[in-house]
Amino acid sequence: MAEYTIKSPLPGIFYRRPSPDAAPFVQEGDTITPGTVIGLVGVMKTFHQITADVGGKLVRFLVENEEAIRPGQPVAVVSDEV
Amino acid sequence: MLEVRNGGFETTVQDYPGRIGMLSLGFAPAGPMDDYAFRFANVLVGNPPGTAGLEITAGGLVIAFEDERAIAVCGADMGARLNGQPLELWRSYLVRAGDILEFDYLQGPGFRTYLAVSGGIDVPPVLGSRATYLPGAIGGFEGRKLQAGDRLPLGEPLTDPAQAAGRRVPASLIPSYPGYNEVWEVEATRGPQADPDYMTAEDMAFFFSHHWKLDAASNRTGYRLDIHKWQWARESGGAGGGHPSNILDNGYPVGAVNVCGDQPIILCIDGPTLGGFICNAVVAKAAMWKLGQMVPGWSYIRFKEVTLEEAITLLKQQDETIHESNLERS
Repeated sequence: MAEYTIKSPLPGIFYRRPSPDAAPFVQEGDTITPGTVIGLVGVMKTFHQITADVGGKLVRFLVENEEAIRPGQPVAVVSDEV
Repeated sequence: MLEVRNGGFETTVQDYPGRIGMLSLGFAPAGPMDDYAFRFANVLVGNPPGTAGLEITAGGLVIAFEDERAIAVCGADMGARLNGQPLELWRSYLVRAGDILEFDYLQGPGFRTYLAVSGGIDVPPVLGSRATYLPGAIGGFEGRKLQAGDRLPLGEPLTDPAQAAGRRVPASLIPSYPGYNEVWEVEATRGPQADPDYMTAEDMAFFFSHHWKLDAASNRTGYRLDIHKWQWARESGGAGGGHPSNILDNGYPVGAVNVCGDQPIILCIDGPTLGGFICNAVVAKAAMWKLGQMVPGWSYIRFKEVTLEEAITLLKQQDETIHESNLERS
């Protein structure tokens, strides 16, 4: 089993939901594929999607919803063992 | 021509000083948020003042060159690589047809970096400037940020690219940017609507001492700062409106700290040109570049009061600093 982290290329505020009333993009334990959107970074009044570059199981998030993040900061851990 | 392979997060064509003299017609100047880095990049490649280059915000830009040119990258470290080799910031290089310049994401403090190409980006001027004004969707390349597939025309270089290459800005003139959660000191003049008429002396003392947090929702239009419960010198805005931050609509200076109710917002170079809220201070023109390197959501600002005369002196010193005679040959 190998684990990977998904990093944010941007600084800003991390959101796990597409809008405040919507369900989270993904839950811990969900199976994801390369390209799956796992969250948004809000900065400069625009929102950028954070996508998985590997497939597998999203083991856990490393930052809270609406937490400020730095560029290059790991936001989630993915395991290749589904 | 310069071919865009990836536009990155927000890359725009800009020139300095931008579309000036048009505030009365509702046009903000636009131009580079960090004009210090932008102007030095132009000087490094032998471009005259006013030549257009690229503002790269937060990284991600990939471009291919089709001509021999001198280039320079000045500003925040985005791990720039030329044909895969790391590129030194604040230094000019020679590029040839087929060369690829790539920017990764931010590698440290700072938020924007600038690319100058000898001859400049030769997009058509709009109302006297090539600067991209994003809210008005004019200037630059089709009035918008760059995207993959865009082909930018280049002007003819005035200097032999091989001669312009291989120069650097001396280390003493390269600014060091405060890091995440650190404080930028920003020179600003008091007023036009400060104490005692609009705010109390205590309000202004707080303004010039507080460490203001820069909100993540800050961009080239405005930089939002913390909410603060001001004392205010007036009960209401009178004919200007019910809240004491209201005044009759008037013109806003570029770089003004506009206090809308409880929230101060620095009006940046794409900001509104008029409105009906007070401006309790104005960022000195020579300090405006600092805004361009602050990280939304992370940086703090402390305003340092300067007089108008001091602000003018700072500007003269800055103009003398950003000069070819200060470059070193590497």
